[in-house]
Amino acid sequence: MKQQTKLSEEQQQHAAEHQTQQPAVKEFATAEELLRYDAAHTPVPPVIAQRLQKSTSDLPGPKPAWWKRWLGGTRP
Amino acid sequence: MAEPPADLASPEFASLYAENSRAIYYLALRFLGDPQKAEDATHDVFLKAFRKLGQFRGEASLRTWLYRIAINHCQNLCRSWQDRHVFSNADDAVWENATAQTDSPLRVLETKELGQRIQKALDGLSDEYRLLLLLVADAELSYEHVGALVGQSPDAVRGKLHRARKAFAALFEKTA
Repeated sequence: MKQQTKLSEEQQQHAAEHQTQQPAVKEFATAEELLRYDAAHTPVPPVIAQRLQKSTSDLPGPKPAWWKRWLGGTRP
Repeated sequence: MAEPPADLASPEFASLYAENSRAIYYLALRFLGDPQKAEDATHDVFLKAFRKLGQFRGEASLRTWLYRIAINHCQNLCRSWQDRHVFSNADDAVWENATAQTDSPLRVLETKELGQRIQKALDGLSDEYRLLLLLVADAELSYEHVGALVGQSPDAVRGKLHRARKAFAALFEKTA
């Protein structure tokens, strides 16, 4: 009985190892679903924000949109 | 959405960047096929947006407005490089006759090479199909939005999207 339990544990371990060796397969119904997944896993390089900070530091701040100015929603 | 970068010129611009930089960078990356060029393009697109934010009429969403700037920018770059082999629409017949396997789901292993495989497949498409797939992949854009960006009716977008999916699937299979 004990032997059986031991074998069963070994089998379970083997099965678990086998399972971890199996690469995860992902399925995507359409190309855009795959692209969406890829986009979500593609980080934006932080250097872009740093470069923008440098590029915009000498420029006057962005004006509010004309319709916002017209509505008087944003005051300079 | 990413945290707005604290040191950008204004809080308004910082949140514009935080909400849209991933979408614009991804479009540039996969359309141009080069991380360095995509980095430069994303910088240039947002700089242009910063300068022209006052001209934004609010007729479209900010995301659509940014996409329009990005598409023009990337297409101008492609036109000036002339260094990309592209399939013309005349090649559609090739994809129409592609095997039925292209209608089955795209199966991928989670590997580092996924991005490279996607890029290879996209590089084999015409600019039109590549752009269409990249825009439709943005869940925030409806077919109407995509149609407005590519100068097509929503019905034409649906029709071309079907062929673009088929072409992509056939090319993607070859990269395995």
